[in-house]
Amino acid sequence: MTIGSIVACLKWVAHPGEPNDERFAGMSPADQSALEFALQQGAAMGVGVVAVTVGPAGAERVLRDALACGVARAVRIHSARPMQSDDVAAAIAAVIPDATWVWCGDYSLDRGSGSVPAFLAGRLAAQQALGIISVSRSADGVIEATRRLDGGRRELLSVAAPAVVSVEGATAHLRRAGLAALRAAGKAPIEVVQSSTPAAPYDAVVHPYRPRARALAAPAGDAALDRLRALTDAGAAVSARGEQVTLEPAAAAAKIVDALKSWGYLA
Amino acid sequence: MIAVVVVRSGQLPAGAAEAVAECDGRAMLVGTGTVEAAAGLAGVSAEVACAELGDAPLATGGAGVFRPAALAAALAGLLADEPMVVLPASPDGRDLAPRLAALLHRPLWAGAVQVTEARVDLARNGSTELHRVSPGAAFVATLQPGVRGVAVAAGAAAPAIVQVAVNLGDLFEIDAKVTEVLPPDPATIDLAEAERIVGGGAGLDSTERMAQLSRVGLALGASMGATRVVTDRGWAPHARQIGTTGVVIDPDLYLAFGISGAVQHTSGLGNPQHIISVNTDGHCPMMQLADLAITADANATLAELETLLSSGAGS
Amino acid sequence: MSTPTLGLDCDVIVVGGGPAGSCAALVAARAGLDVVLIERGPFPGSKNMYGGVVYPRILDSLIPEWWLEAPIQRWVTRRSTMLLTDTQAMTVDFRSEAWGRPPYNGATAFRPDWDFWLAGHAEAAGAQILTSTTVTGLIRDASGAVVGVHTDRPDGDLRARVVIACDGVNSFLAKEAGLYTHTDAKHFTLGVKETLALPEEVIDERFNVRDRQGVDIEILGGTSGVNGGGFIYTNLDTLAVGVVLKLPALAAQKARPEDIIATLKAHPAIAPLVQGAELKEYSAHVIPEAGLEMMPKMTMPGMLVAGDAAALCLAAGIWLEGVNFAMASGMYAGEAVIEAIKAGDLGSKGLAGYERRLRDTFVLRDHRKLRRAPKLVLSDRVQHLYPAMVANTVERMFRVDNPAPKPGVRRILREERKRAGVKLSDLARDGWNGFRSFG
Ligand SMILES: Cc1cc2nc3c(=O)[nH]c(=O)nc-3n(C[C@H](O)[C@H](O)[C@H](O)COP(=O)(O)OP(=O)(O)OC[C@H]3O[C@@H](n4cnc5c(N)ncnc54)[C@H](O)[C@@H]3O)c2cc1C
Ligand SMILES: Cc1cc2nc3c(=O)[nH]c(=O)nc-3n(C[C@H](O)[C@H](O)[C@H](O)COP(=O)(O)OP(=O)(O)OC[C@H]3O[C@@H](n4cnc5c(N)ncnc54)[C@H](O)[C@@H]3O)c2cc1C
Ligand SMILES: Nc1ncnc2c1ncn2[C@@H]1O[C@H](COP(=O)(O)O)[C@@H](O)[C@H]1O
Repeated sequence: MTIGSIVACLKWVAHPGEPNDERFAGMSPADQSALEFALQQGAAMGVGVVAVTVGPAGAERVLRDALACGVARAVRIHSARPMQSDDVAAAIAAVIPDATWVWCGDYSLDRGSGSVPAFLAGRLAAQQALGIISVSRSADGVIEATRRLDGGRRELLSVAAPAVVSVEGATAHLRRAGLAALRAAGKAPIEVVQSSTPAAPYDAVVHPYRPRARALAAPAGDAALDRLRALTDAGAAVSARGEQVTLEPAAAAAKIVDALKSWGYLA
Repeated sequence: MIAVVVVRSGQLPAGAAEAVAECDGRAMLVGTGTVEAAAGLAGVSAEVACAELGDAPLATGGAGVFRPAALAAALAGLLADEPMVVLPASPDGRDLAPRLAALLHRPLWAGAVQVTEARVDLARNGSTELHRVSPGAAFVATLQPGVRGVAVAAGAAAPAIVQVAVNLGDLFEIDAKVTEVLPPDPATIDLAEAERIVGGGAGLDSTERMAQLSRVGLALGASMGATRVVTDRGWAPHARQIGTTGVVIDPDLYLAFGISGAVQHTSGLGNPQHIISVNTDGHCPMMQLADLAITADANATLAELETLLSSGAGS
Repeated sequence: MSTPTLGLDCDVIVVGGGPAGSCAALVAARAGLDVVLIERGPFPGSKNMYGGVVYPRILDSLIPEWWLEAPIQRWVTRRSTMLLTDTQAMTVDFRSEAWGRPPYNGATAFRPDWDFWLAGHAEAAGAQILTSTTVTGLIRDASGAVVGVHTDRPDGDLRARVVIACDGVNSFLAKEAGLYTHTDAKHFTLGVKETLALPEEVIDERFNVRDRQGVDIEILGGTSGVNGGGFIYTNLDTLAVGVVLKLPALAAQKARPEDIIATLKAHPAIAPLVQGAELKEYSAHVIPEAGLEMMPKMTMPGMLVAGDAAALCLAAGIWLEGVNFAMASGMYAGEAVIEAIKAGDLGSKGLAGYERRLRDTFVLRDHRKLRRAPKLVLSDRVQHLYPAMVANTVERMFRVDNPAPKPGVRRILREERKRAGVKLSDLARDGWNGFRSFG
């Protein structure tokens, strides 16, 4: 089966506040952004958008939400159990081999690793633009997008089809479905396909999360007690650690500026 | 195990030293300015393989630009004999790791908090669960920055460099084109990454005051953060909430205006080198924590501070 | 499914996915009508709360053997009524094994589970449920008859032959339609509840039950001097502990509901029951309390009102029943609508079958019977004088003051009545009112 060119990959995820209650499950904010971008692009290009999900029957919920928002087709690739990212990507790639633009969320809220989009790009021999925080479309079908780098830097990318774009939540606000569309979506057909790729089992032993002990540089200080204090901050919060003054506002502002200068934050 | 770290213009990404330490010091740096960046691994690694791509201007889409698909293809050959590869889960590491895993036909263990040859611990479900897996004989993993820390003895020597040749080829169209790299902007930077932060609490009187706080912050090169009382009022977005149910920050400088210093707030403050607190109550916990605790009206002080900074006192 | 008339989107719009709405939708959809149920939450029941005990026998006809599938926590086999003063407690305790077997009597259940389950039956019957959608107004024709609703969605108007408003207490639809002529803060109480976690075995042991048996304790007194009452219900591994407080009294005393619950939990008779429990949830909701005195007109052309929206909740001291009244009235609204559509008359006359059903069944009969109860139970005497009088009387009856001989019960009663400052004439009148209501 071959499906047209703009695709939104939507995952059915538990609500973080209600992880064990399927009734709260739905699309993550990132996937909602992805869907909104896909719909806007589809409208601009005059192409119907295809929504794809890999998951159990309950996952059709996100497809119905997408149908209500205006996607033209909805496909669920059946998978009763969670799959590894590469297998999810393989399953999706198999039903959209000719996709030109694939929109994903940057992370799925639950097991999320943010790797499905890159695997998908690999399988589709497509460009990837991951963790996008803003998108501006240019005339010739190329997308200009901004991506987060570390240290607060940003990268501007120019992306050409075929491409997989993953977007952060809240980069676009998913439109609210109209009433008639919502009613129609409740009855619209959803294509269900069986995944043809064999999925590797995911065997993990689940523990409650505990942060790992962090290695620290040896603290300064000659006495053992000083080193201990430096490491544990012991006593720091008990007594005031610095200078205490009572000032009128203007003097307070001047005092702040002076302090910042003396600490080297202001020249 | 070997750590593979993407370097841009001589700068190590977040979590680079930790990934290298996790691999007992075995590392390959790839990108631009790799030799310069290797110095940052002093005390963590004795010898580093540097695959230098050479700096080329962005506009030419030249060899120096980060191209994950091309890079993965080039590295796959080099890493064929390295069954276990660890990358920091920095933006570039996260981009590259899946492509590498796919080309090497290995599983990817993304978002690990601990990687050993026999066992990988993954943080899952919003870091509420730890998934322990047997990774198999060959794999690619990404390690979350900040989870392990590194112990570096003072005065450690920079690692020895082994140059490795790598060629990205000229299949430019398989990657998106980088057109520009923008420097950090305090107004948009993730709080978690910000080095200077101004925080506003319930002592501030209005949403306009929060805007003033942001402007004062900009003048100081600091990002705006807030307490839950403020975000609950809708005066700042939730992404700006500092604390246990918000963002955990780790700045050098923290300025607290009208913040009482509830433990849910201060437990998210990290360990700032300098704290200034302005509060009408000289005895609240935030004042006890501060290096400079000023008993004053935070609203009027902010107004004065804005005037003072815009008159050039801060430049 | 029937095809609605031209210009209409469906036959019946039900507003609200609580117990009233789901039963109305279920009945109407089973008759083949095209039914749309609109719920503002992400799923029916998602945000709904109550004390915790439901009496589901009204479902016998709608969902035979409902007990095999209903999402219940425990079957109530013990009912206690507790009278508290600051230092005393008197409890009347009843238990019946029969209430632990089909067809059962009461059960504790969580509303998100219960409402979702009921809505599932409505959906299976063919009703379409639209969630995350809020009804914002009524569409009316030139004659004033209701012909549909506005919602908060784009292109959000929906037209139908009839609208059943099941939008809960303070029904905005019934008010907009002008069906409420007189409402007042004094008609409402505030229900506040804490959900406290304890292991199942600990609850079994403390409340002297086992095998999913549960306890319903209604409390008079213990509300820090604010007129009202309290309750404790056992869920599987949580307790619901709450108070129902008269709104004007609450406002006058500037008391905080959470402090009142804290005081109740610290009472020597309650503390051992809740000791060590972990607070999981805190919730509050308004209850229509005044019964008949505040009920609106139940129908108008094109619209019916059911459940709390019609103030059908029965809240009278040792009774706190609303879900059964909501389910029943929703069901009768559905039946009346089927009748009216068949007859082709959705005007007041065509819908008259609804009020008739309410009058002929427990829905209004119980209300009529208990019409004096809320006022009586919340009156200052019952709230502030009688508990001490009764408790002191009983305390003296059972106290052994040797060498003093036991006093006669009549004498104790007289003395305690005087000490409490209760006039004999008031006591006689309250007794008579109580007897007429509860007897
Ligand atoms: C489960 C849970 C999670 C929470 N998570 C978070 C979290 O992630 N982050 C968070 O911040 N909080 C969190 N809180 C809330 C936290 O407990 C505190 O309520 C909150 O941090 C207090 O914010 P505040 O300091 O702005 O307000 P307050 O505590 O009300 O303090 C206001 C301060 O302003 C001072 N003040 C008043 N007027 C002036 C003036 N004119 N000039 C100067 N100073 C003035 C007062 O003296 C006071 O010290 C959480 C709470 C709970 C229960
Ligand atoms: C503290 C407390 C304790 C109680 N204890 C008990 C008890 O133990 N046992 C008992 O039987 N009863 C109890 N009750 C009473 C009981 O909760 C109500 O009588 C019952 O819920 C009424 O059901 P309903 O379907 O009429 O309304 P609700 O359950 O209130 O349902 C109304 C529904 O309509 C939806 N809605 C409202 N407005 C709109 C709109 N504009 N658009 C779309 N949807 C809308 C709501 O989201 C909701 O789902 C208690 C009540 C309270 C407050
Ligand atoms: N099971 C799935 N079905 C559809 N899309 C998915 C699925 N899993 C992941 N995705 C897409 O990939 C993005 C990143 O997911 P992840 O790699 O799991 O963090 C998600 O936001 C979705 O857009």
